[in-house]
Amino acid sequence: MKKITELIREKRVYFDGGTGTVLQDMGLPAGQTPELWNISNPEKIIGLHKAYLDAGCNIIKTNTFGINADKFENYKELIEAGIKCAKKAVDDQEEKYIAFDMGPTGKLLEPLGEMTFEYAVELFSKNIRAAAEYGVDLVLIETMNDSYETKAAVLAAKENCDLPVFVTNVYDASGKLMTGADPAAMISLLEGLKVDALGMNCSLGPDTMLKIIKEFEKYSSTPIIVNPNAGLPEVIDGKTVFNIDSDEFSDYMLRLAENGASILGGCCGTTPEFIHKTVLKTKDLPYKAPYKKDFTMVSSYTHSVIIDREPILIGERINPTGKPKLKEALRTKNLNYVLNEAITQSEAGVHILDVNVGLPEIDETEMMVKCISAIQAVVDIPLQIDTTKAETLEKAMRIYNGKPLVNSVNGTEESMNTVFPIVKKYGGGLIALTIDEKGIPNNAAERAAIASKIAKRAAEYGIEKKNIIVDPLALTVSSNPESAIITLESIRLIRKMGLKTCLGISNISFGLPQRELVTSTFYANSLCCGLNCAIMNPFSKAMMDTYYSYRALNMLDTGCIDYINYASANTEKTESKQNRNNESLHTSIVKGLKDSAVLCAKALLENTAPLDVINSHIIPALNEIGEAFEQKKAYLPQLLMSAEAASASFEEVKKKIKSEKNNKNKAIVLATVKGDIHDIGKNIVKVLMESYGFTVYDLGRDVPPEKIRDCAVENNCKLVGLSALMTTTVPAMAETIELLNKTDRSIKTIVGGAVLNQEYADMIGADFYGSDAMDTVRYAERFYKN
Amino acid sequence: MNNKDILTISAKPDQIKINKNELAARLGTSREYESYAVDFCRERLLEVISYKCAYIKSDIDLSKQNISDFGFMTVSSQNLYRNLKGCDKAFIMAVTAGIGVDRLLAKLNITSQAEHFITNALASAAIESFCDYASDIIKNGADCAPRFSPGYGDVSIEVQKPLLNRLNASQTLGITLNGNFFMTPVKSITAIMGVKNEKDN
Repeated sequence: MKKITELIREKRVYFDGGTGTVLQDMGLPAGQTPELWNISNPEKIIGLHKAYLDAGCNIIKTNTFGINADKFENYKELIEAGIKCAKKAVDDQEEKYIAFDMGPTGKLLEPLGEMTFEYAVELFSKNIRAAAEYGVDLVLIETMNDSYETKAAVLAAKENCDLPVFVTNVYDASGKLMTGADPAAMISLLEGLKVDALGMNCSLGPDTMLKIIKEFEKYSSTPIIVNPNAGLPEVIDGKTVFNIDSDEFSDYMLRLAENGASILGGCCGTTPEFIHKTVLKTKDLPYKAPYKKDFTMVSSYTHSVIIDREPILIGERINPTGKPKLKEALRTKNLNYVLNEAITQSEAGVHILDVNVGLPEIDETEMMVKCISAIQAVVDIPLQIDTTKAETLEKAMRIYNGKPLVNSVNGTEESMNTVFPIVKKYGGGLIALTIDEKGIPNNAAERAAIASKIAKRAAEYGIEKKNIIVDPLALTVSSNPESAIITLESIRLIRKMGLKTCLGISNISFGLPQRELVTSTFYANSLCCGLNCAIMNPFSKAMMDTYYSYRALNMLDTGCIDYINYASANTEKTESKQNRNNESLHTSIVKGLKDSAVLCAKALLENTAPLDVINSHIIPALNEIGEAFEQKKAYLPQLLMSAEAASASFEEVKKKIKSEKNNKNKAIVLATVKGDIHDIGKNIVKVLMESYGFTVYDLGRDVPPEKIRDCAVENNCKLVGLSALMTTTVPAMAETIELLNKTDRSIKTIVGGAVLNQEYADMIGADFYGSDAMDTVRYAERFYKN
Repeated sequence: MNNKDILTISAKPDQIKINKNELAARLGTSREYESYAVDFCRERLLEVISYKCAYIKSDIDLSKQNISDFGFMTVSSQNLYRNLKGCDKAFIMAVTAGIGVDRLLAKLNITSQAEHFITNALASAAIESFCDYASDIIKNGADCAPRFSPGYGDVSIEVQKPLLNRLNASQTLGITLNGNFFMTPVKSITAIMGVKNEKDN
């Protein structure tokens, strides 16, 4: 018999329709598991399959949708029985196939949920191994409403069998999955993983799917499956309505076929009648196989970024080279610092974020995996995995939710042999550096030749040319006078070869004064030569100026709207600087105006000693709002806004206190104790301590005693500050102090927080009770003086 | 797989008026309190919020003292039993504000504790308000007992599991449970709402 993967390229193929909903009509009680009938009522399951086959479908789904090893101990038995029913029904008929049906686990994956990615892969793998053992023609992964779980299921299928893999996701009326992905994002991900067919099922009727199919048709080079719902009740404007019947359904299916759907079937509510009418209405429509699309796409868990005419900005800030603060954050595993860099760059307008955490003294793989997972919880733009280690790249690509950019491969045999197999497996855009065993050529033709070699070798691995983005390398112009000229010429040549390009822009100006001027001019030149992506600093005004004006000048910004918005935002900033005298630092903090507080602090610091800014302006303002809060004249939201305005102005003060910066001799470990998730007080102490030159090891909130002890011991820090806001967590504080005392009696403990007082502090054996943040700072100063 | 008896309701963000009392209680402010920060946070929240409700109408059997038997689950509780007194059916419902809210809160937890606090309060008030909105549609004028949620009184939080399974909530609403029976998305509510002495249609 012809392989299903061949058949779907030659003609329109039909899936069966609903299973559970039909079984309910056959007597399955609502809320009961349909899969149990594989064993208890096999004749009914076989009957259902036969009815669908008689209706004209080519592929039947096994009755195994909800089975997994977590839900059923006898999952293998249920799968075997389900496949047996399907085999009996098909009975070796021509062009009739059995799809092993696999639905979602019903659990949400990390970071928002609890299930780890690898656990999900293993759970799906158990199903796949069983299905492969009993024999089916393909795997259908369906009704997936999360891109990440979809990826886990596809990897499980790819790693445990050689069967064709079909995938359908559940979109809502706005054309997105429950966890956010649009069709282009799913197509990027699934084509990267090389599935054989993809599409949508469940949730929507064919009428709504007709609106979404256009997105699929536009981006997918893979045959498209459409399995809509029908005949299910919905409450609209307070009235229960049953959506369309089989006639209407099949009319829509015809239109879906005309709009690019290659594989047609049904989901909940559809019956053999729906499928039969669909087959009849579409069988005479000439079949058009999907054609190859040539988009260079990468994706996140919500959307894809297409690398084409629009210049693409890749944020460079998460890279420890030359950034002592980030280095320190990586060493101390301070993910918050990294996340802040991710969020602020994303808000500054970059399209993709480069993530490089390579430091010799840390476990790069572990840190990369942690960072990618954490960043993907708070930022929805695609990431560029930047590493030189194969192991790190493999793990990072595996757990990445989407299709990433990979930075990078180069023209050496070693690099190509290492990187290509990983990118082949997981799918990704690939940055290719024009360097080989002989180094970086000093002319454009040879750089282009390396690019060509890399693209050819990549093709041998099935990595398409469209996924190669060449970085012809910008060397520092101050030491290589010809550097800029050669790089620009390389971009022109490489673009002529039909390859996309990328440059780490900033390097060009290294060692020169007023670097931004040179960097942004070089960027403008590069764009004119056809540069696609720039790895750059989005906080550089000159770079963003160039970006927005280039787009306006090149018909990429209709009506210059983006440029006008950008320029007017800049003007507002300048105006608010001029108006800063209207608000003092004191009133800015009391009113909770963060931006204004920063500007006022900057102005004050021009002629006021940093410590005076703290003692005469910030602290009195904080005290004022604090007292108002205590007297119930101000509310908690106001207090918090003020604290943040104060923190932001502290940051400005800190920049001025350089002499005492990173003074390891003056350090403190801070934590909100186990069970307590309030960290406002602790955060206020933190900013104050930092402004006084202390190194702060901030362990966050809900911190177990052992972790606090380990941090103090590891860093040889003799001062520990503990915070608690709830009476229920004071025992955890006592437990922590006891552990610290047992470990090293020379460690001193400071306690503070809303529920604490001197009496409590004495009772739990603390060395000092800090009634407020200033009090704590003064104690710490005395401690280190003695 | 959907059951044919599960109905769904959705609403656009601007269709739901956030209850002022609910919001004030969660912010710890007076009912009249207004600020630019709250307005700003509300606007941003409404961009990511996605209200959805799923429900069924279930039979109940109250023939055993303090046992409420719904067919698909049996709840042993004095409080719920009393709440359902005089009812012969019950609506089983779940509502959610969607996973976008969780993502926004995770992000604000990094960037601003103040905005996190305010947004969290707004989102809690918002889902309560949507729950009220959906309840009114579900009741459709019927005389119903007050909404009762798992975890209240002597009703075990573990009731979440059979309740959400019955509504196929991971599919219909994207609600999943963790090991402690807490729901994701975090701004989600489940409830049982008894229907007083209604005859079968």
